[in-house]
Amino acid sequence: MFFFPLLFAALHSEGDRELAERLKRREPQAMADLYDRYGRVTYVLIFRIVRNTGTAEDLVQETFLRVWNRMQAFDSEKGALGPWILTVARNRAIDYLRSVDGRMAQNAFELETNEHPSLFANLETEVLNSDRARRLKIAFEKLTANQKQVIELAYYEGLSQSEMADRMKQPLGTVKTWVRSALKALREDLGEALAV
Amino acid sequence: MTCEHLKDEYELHALGLSDGFERAEIEHHLRQGCAHCRAGLRNALITSVMIMQLAPDVEPPRALRKRVIASVGGGSSTDWGWRAIWATATAALMVGVVWLGIENRKKPEYTAQAKQTLAILNEPETRQVVFGGSVPVPPQGRVLVNAKHGVLLLASNLPKPPAGQTYELWIIPKGGSPKPSGLFQSDARGSAMYLSPAPVDMATLGAVAVTLEPEAGSAAPTSTPIIVAAMSD
Repeated sequence: MFFFPLLFAALHSEGDRELAERLKRREPQAMADLYDRYGRVTYVLIFRIVRNTGTAEDLVQETFLRVWNRMQAFDSEKGALGPWILTVARNRAIDYLRSVDGRMAQNAFELETNEHPSLFANLETEVLNSDRARRLKIAFEKLTANQKQVIELAYYEGLSQSEMADRMKQPLGTVKTWVRSALKALREDLGEALAV
Repeated sequence: MTCEHLKDEYELHALGLSDGFERAEIEHHLRQGCAHCRAGLRNALITSVMIMQLAPDVEPPRALRKRVIASVGGGSSTDWGWRAIWATATAALMVGVVWLGIENRKKPEYTAQAKQTLAILNEPETRQVVFGGSVPVPPQGRVLVNAKHGVLLLASNLPKPPAGQTYELWIIPKGGSPKPSGLFQSDARGSAMYLSPAPVDMATLGAVAVTLEPEAGSAAPTSTPIIVAAMSD
């Protein structure tokens, strides 16, 4: 069901440092450039999660405003704008899904903390590695149907393992096994560089 | 727990999905300066961001760019599509205004407002933007701006304000800070018509927006706009 990754900033990463500085100076044109660079990949991710055009538009706007308002905490020298924006975008979309589903925001604190700009230092090179993206695609295709499903539930629906177990009507232990084996397979196929 | 026990938790932690006990353990390791866990989380973050890009490609709506840029006061190029919408919408709006005028004859205090509303609708130089037309749920409607007569907002599907809050209209100059332009309420069905009668500098106008604010109003927006209408030159 997936297409090949967009490698969203592969052609633009060199200009991110300058763009980040302009965003910090709150130049509206910098927001236009930021959108031109990352708007599409942000929309694609959010739309995949919420599956509604209007909602996706609202959340894209919220994502870019959030980035705009938090730029002062971003390290222009080392920070990776693309990964940061995508993480903010996913969090906004998952927050929305949780609010619609009436799910308790038990992980809201984590969603806030996992998008702090300081976490996105020196990530660009790895994220933009096209060979790794290709290997990830192949690795994902090799997963079993259950493994793919739990990865999608985690990444695109923000379900905890307990929530996955309820959704899939499977024992929690079984779901945990699928999650761990899927992540292990992806991690291993991405190569030694990502191995801890 | 040792780092070896935690290594399968890094991705879930990066996604904000780790369970309470494992989450506490990872955070404890990080607070202790654990280089192994820090590297593991960093790699998990890379993996997560790459997996996020596996989503199927879709085309964003063209108007979204303008909306995002306008939300920080940025300008954008002319969109002649709105001109066509203006022609169609005017006829429907006139019906409403005629009705409004008849009703307001009974209420002298509203006559001036009705005249101003009619002036905005009548004058050819009035600029109009339609918002929220792509889906039925979010706020929908139109904003009409006239240099002499002000801003007229017609909106439906407005979210019900939380207790103690109301809607606030903002005029956002290009490259400038949002200017508070009045407070208003919706009716029981979430519809509202609001006139901000102050003249508008069309040359510098970037966007008109609406946020939910405390009932006393705010000097600057404190929440994400529920309506943003980018105004073209």
